[in-house]
Amino acid sequence: MESTATISESPDTFSSFDPNTMRTTKPGLKRLILTFSILISFFLGLPFLLKSVEIYRAPLPFHEMDSIESTHLSFPCKFQVMLLGLDYATETSSKLGFSIQESMKKLTGTSSVCGSCSENYTVSITIDSSETLDDSVKNDHVFDELLKGKLEGSGNVYSVVVVSSDEEIRAVVGRFRHAWIIGRVSEVDLAGMIAEILVKIFVNGGKDDGAIHGEFMPVGADGRVVLSFSLLNANPEHWIYDWDFKNVDEMFLTPLVKALYPIANVSVESQVLYHTPKSYFSYWDDKLESYIFNTKDLPFFVNSNEWHLDTSISAGGRSKILHFVVYVPSADECPLLLQLPNGETSGTNGFISPVIHFALFLIQACYMCIIVLKMPNDFPFRSWYSADVGRCYYMESSKLFERFRKSFQTYNFPSALCLHILKQDLKNIFEVFMGQFRQLFGLKSDSIFMGLSGSYKLLTSESGFADWELDLLSRQHTCFNLGSCATTLGSLSRLVQSLPRMIIMDEIGKEVKFSLEAAKLAHENASLGIYEASAGVSSSFTQAFGLSSRQARVLAEDAFYHPSIMSVSYYSFEHCFAVYSPFFLPVAVHVLLAAVRELRRYKRERAKYLAWKAKANVAAQVQQS
Amino acid sequence: MLLPRQTRLVLFLLSNLFFIPITFSLVEEQEQFTEELLLKPLPDRKVLSHFHFQSRAPPTASYGHHHRLFPKAIYQLVHKYRIREMELSFTQGRWNYERWGGFDPISSNNAKPPGVELWAVFDVPEHQVDAYWKNLTHTLSGLFCASINFLESSTTYAAPEWGFQPFTGSLRYGTLPREAVCTENLTPWLKLLPCRDKAGLSALLDRPSIYKGFYHSQQLHLISAEFKSGELDSGIILEQTLTVVLQPGAKRTGLAYFQPSWSMSSIFGRQITGKCVLAKSSNVFLQIDRDAVSELKDMWKEMSVNSDKMSKSLWSNPYFELSRAPDRIKEASSINSDSASILYEFFIQKCSKSESFDLGLTWKSSFVWSCPKAPLHATRFLMGSGNERGSIAISLRTTELNRRLMDADISEETCKLRVDIFQMVPWYVKVYYHTLLVFVDEKPQALTDVIERMHVSPSEDKVSPGLMELALKLPCGLNSAALTVEFSKGFLHIDEYPPDANQGFDIPSAVISFPRFNTRLHFPKDDSERSPVLSYTEVLLVPLTTPDFSMPYNVITITCTVFALYFGSLLNVLRRRVGEEERILKEKAANKKTGWISILLSKLFAKLRGRPSESPKSPASSSSLVSLKLLLKVVLVASVAVGWQIEFLELCGFERIDGEKFLDLPIEKVDMAALVSAGSEL
Repeated sequence: MESTATISESPDTFSSFDPNTMRTTKPGLKRLILTFSILISFFLGLPFLLKSVEIYRAPLPFHEMDSIESTHLSFPCKFQVMLLGLDYATETSSKLGFSIQESMKKLTGTSSVCGSCSENYTVSITIDSSETLDDSVKNDHVFDELLKGKLEGSGNVYSVVVVSSDEEIRAVVGRFRHAWIIGRVSEVDLAGMIAEILVKIFVNGGKDDGAIHGEFMPVGADGRVVLSFSLLNANPEHWIYDWDFKNVDEMFLTPLVKALYPIANVSVESQVLYHTPKSYFSYWDDKLESYIFNTKDLPFFVNSNEWHLDTSISAGGRSKILHFVVYVPSADECPLLLQLPNGETSGTNGFISPVIHFALFLIQACYMCIIVLKMPNDFPFRSWYSADVGRCYYMESSKLFERFRKSFQTYNFPSALCLHILKQDLKNIFEVFMGQFRQLFGLKSDSIFMGLSGSYKLLTSESGFADWELDLLSRQHTCFNLGSCATTLGSLSRLVQSLPRMIIMDEIGKEVKFSLEAAKLAHENASLGIYEASAGVSSSFTQAFGLSSRQARVLAEDAFYHPSIMSVSYYSFEHCFAVYSPFFLPVAVHVLLAAVRELRRYKRERAKYLAWKAKANVAAQVQQS
Repeated sequence: MLLPRQTRLVLFLLSNLFFIPITFSLVEEQEQFTEELLLKPLPDRKVLSHFHFQSRAPPTASYGHHHRLFPKAIYQLVHKYRIREMELSFTQGRWNYERWGGFDPISSNNAKPPGVELWAVFDVPEHQVDAYWKNLTHTLSGLFCASINFLESSTTYAAPEWGFQPFTGSLRYGTLPREAVCTENLTPWLKLLPCRDKAGLSALLDRPSIYKGFYHSQQLHLISAEFKSGELDSGIILEQTLTVVLQPGAKRTGLAYFQPSWSMSSIFGRQITGKCVLAKSSNVFLQIDRDAVSELKDMWKEMSVNSDKMSKSLWSNPYFELSRAPDRIKEASSINSDSASILYEFFIQKCSKSESFDLGLTWKSSFVWSCPKAPLHATRFLMGSGNERGSIAISLRTTELNRRLMDADISEETCKLRVDIFQMVPWYVKVYYHTLLVFVDEKPQALTDVIERMHVSPSEDKVSPGLMELALKLPCGLNSAALTVEFSKGFLHIDEYPPDANQGFDIPSAVISFPRFNTRLHFPKDDSERSPVLSYTEVLLVPLTTPDFSMPYNVITITCTVFALYFGSLLNVLRRRVGEEERILKEKAANKKTGWISILLSKLFAKLRGRPSESPKSPASSSSLVSLKLLLKVVLVASVAVGWQIEFLELCGFERIDGEKFLDLPIEKVDMAALVSAGSEL
């Protein structure tokens, strides 16, 4: 209609006006603005939509989590040498100190193992010529106590005391943080020996490779160890062994638990199981007169169908359970001995099986330890018993046992023999256990350490671990804990960053934060040697960094294994797409098409208008001219 | 509210009936394990076997926490969750109260609702009880290989005030009616026994034969006095029971209406080879019901057998015979009647490896008897139809026992029978407690006359189940009583439906107890502990409306499409130029030859717009050309269809005969099933 109006307006240009290519009015902008405003509002609304479907992610300190992996840990150690006796002059001390440091450097080598002492150690030398020593030198334990009292004030310093006397040369490492050398030793040898004691024993724990292997670490990820003791009676119809575990707990295990507190939270439990045959046969050996079980058959010894060495309810999900199992064979396979690959029988009759966590199996040789107070006078085995003290008799073969059993039945004794493992036997069992337990922690149980410059006697402690050994364990575990904390946090950070649509709860953020704080604290305490502050109480100094490193690891593991990480409501992008696409896809098509069409039309119409305008201008010019 | 004197007398006798005097010295601080098995012929030709294992641990304070018999797992459980009392039962099948009795201790304590039932009393402050319960369910779930962890959700458990057990505040109760029970639950249960199933009575537990039975209930009951302060500390008592109702094999001895004769080896397929060496005592009991005994004695009287001979022939008589002589016979003598049940006791200590213990019962004559029943027999059912409303009805019918007990004092006005009802209802069954109606002898009663005490905690949607505890006092001489309460069915969120939602939802069993009637276990127990007569009703299945589970997406898609359509058309309308479009259309019409369809369409549009159509004049020749095209198209479509059909028939088994244009179906290839299904489809 518009075109007809223009036609009537300018009849003179009618001949050159083509309605298909020209128009006389400006094209309208209303619809263009409308469609574009809708399109723009769509684009503006998009961030709001994305914000509204966003999932919650607690902010995590990714940088700190990644950087904690690279921090190095070093423990400052202090050494002290005390010379007792009159022979040493003042000037020798500085000379000796120098040569000790030289040989220590030589022994330490270049490779620094995590958990050992840092490079910048100091060795101080004191000479005490006024001291006179009596006979206490001869008794190692007494002298150990004496030295402990003497060195008490000096804090947590590893000391070597040199006592010059005319006796044979003797080097002893005590139960605390000191060793002593008795005898007349030349200065060169002395420096070598002192350096060896300090480096090889106090710092490295008498091992060649000081590193602690992660998979063999007997402490669970939550810093707990459950020692589960089981006594297995293979066939209770033959005999039932019993143990006085309450007593054992008080005697052996309570000091151990106390001593290991800075390293792990140890708890003890016990059970007695019955009808638990082993799952592999043993054979009778005439020469040894016993049943023999070969070490190569050991994988088949454990009968997991019948041995319910349960996981403990008191232990959490990530605590480590160490099973210690004493197996009492039935009368049909008695005595049962373990044969080593070289043909000899095992001295301990025990082995460690990595199959079910860590299980130590001890096979109790068949002793008859019976406390029977009332006995008929004509009982044929009467001579075997003393009145009220139980005595042990070795059962040579099961034939004898059968006779024994029969006589029991005729004299109306209970059909099964209820036996108590005697205190002495129990003590032996627990000594073997202690040895294996120390082995799990990577400590040797030899009483003598053979060094390059001599042999050193190592005194054993009642709790099973000497103070310097605990220091060593504590250093190593701190190092291991911080290392594993760092790797856990590092992998958590990588995981979280790789999954952008994963929900992260505030708890995880909190745990990560606390873990980082604890790790930092452990680092600081370790590098400052904060233990000096709490010196005085033996072995408490290790708690400062031991506990916080443990805490750091526990928190890191908690964060990593937080149940919400495995959340079911993991909101995938596909889900989002599936929900929103039925609306946004058709609408977007409409909006885009409308915008494109309007734009195209506007351009076309404008071109038309411009073409007409140009023409009109030309016509006007023509008219003017 | 007092029971008639005679009733009390009878009850007293009943309670004394099975008491075996084994003294427990309180000074003795030893762990103890005892095993017992009770066998009892049931009136409907079945045999009840009830295994009972008891472990005791002395108090920790004096004994320490290392045990040689008591299971470590249970000890740790008690200590970690501070349990004062707990009962967990796994049941398969339903206890038949009519036939198997409802008044003996076994039916009161060991007849359990199907599935899992767990209740526990904690010794912790009241605000911590829920947390402890939740952790306990998870631990038990792991310990017994069952989905007890579903009881963690607060919608599945309740805190009964007094209707279930008299522990206020610290008691939690939950059931899983649909839990399937099998060997994987039995094995961990057996692991708690010192001899497991290697020796002793538990060696009888042959899995195929015990799961073949009509009823199977495995229970664990724990009583601990570890945390009570000031009281006498008796340590922890763990009772494990297994109740099985089995059908003895068809070892027919004569007439069909004889009770079947059986032996241990015939019902279990195994024999006892000796006691568990760790057990303090190991006994097998055989019980003949009171009614059966009176029946027998009547017959004896007829045959005029003197009493001296009678006692001797108690285990071998003209009616039945035991395969071995019992070590002890216990018979409860009573004053008012000559009826009393007989208990034969066998000690397993004496049997050795060479001779195995196999107890058998051979019936020589036929007779019928019935088991003692609870005063009222309870059934529960649903009323109403449809998916919206319904009502739950609990019906109580009197039994002979009640009639017998009440007959004497029917005239007495004060005689009342107290019945406690405990009912838990899931939240999606919304019970209107104000609609509660009570009928006695089919006459409606005023609630205040009948209800002595009532505690109702209504359900909260998705938070807690509804709970109803009622104490009814009913007249003694009643014949029947009924309770009805209406409910409406709620709607669940789509996430809350179980995988098999169309099966329906279970309402857990109601617990009906008769607190004035007591029974006691015949197994050694101290005097004070007597359990009230208790029975469970059926589990109800409520069908709820189940949605089509793909519905949310369908709804999303359809609404979004509608919105998109609306939005799109609105946008189009906004940017439309009507005048311009019409002009272009006109130009097109003028320029182009249009088919008759487009003419038709344009006419239609014009009509819709309310304007006269300006149809362009099209030559007649073009229309004939168009119709020819159309015809060709139709032919093409038809030929495609025919071709497809032939392919389809060939697929169905027809064969094309070479050179011929026919399809042939060999007779041996005719698949009748396919044809029938095709026919039905058509």
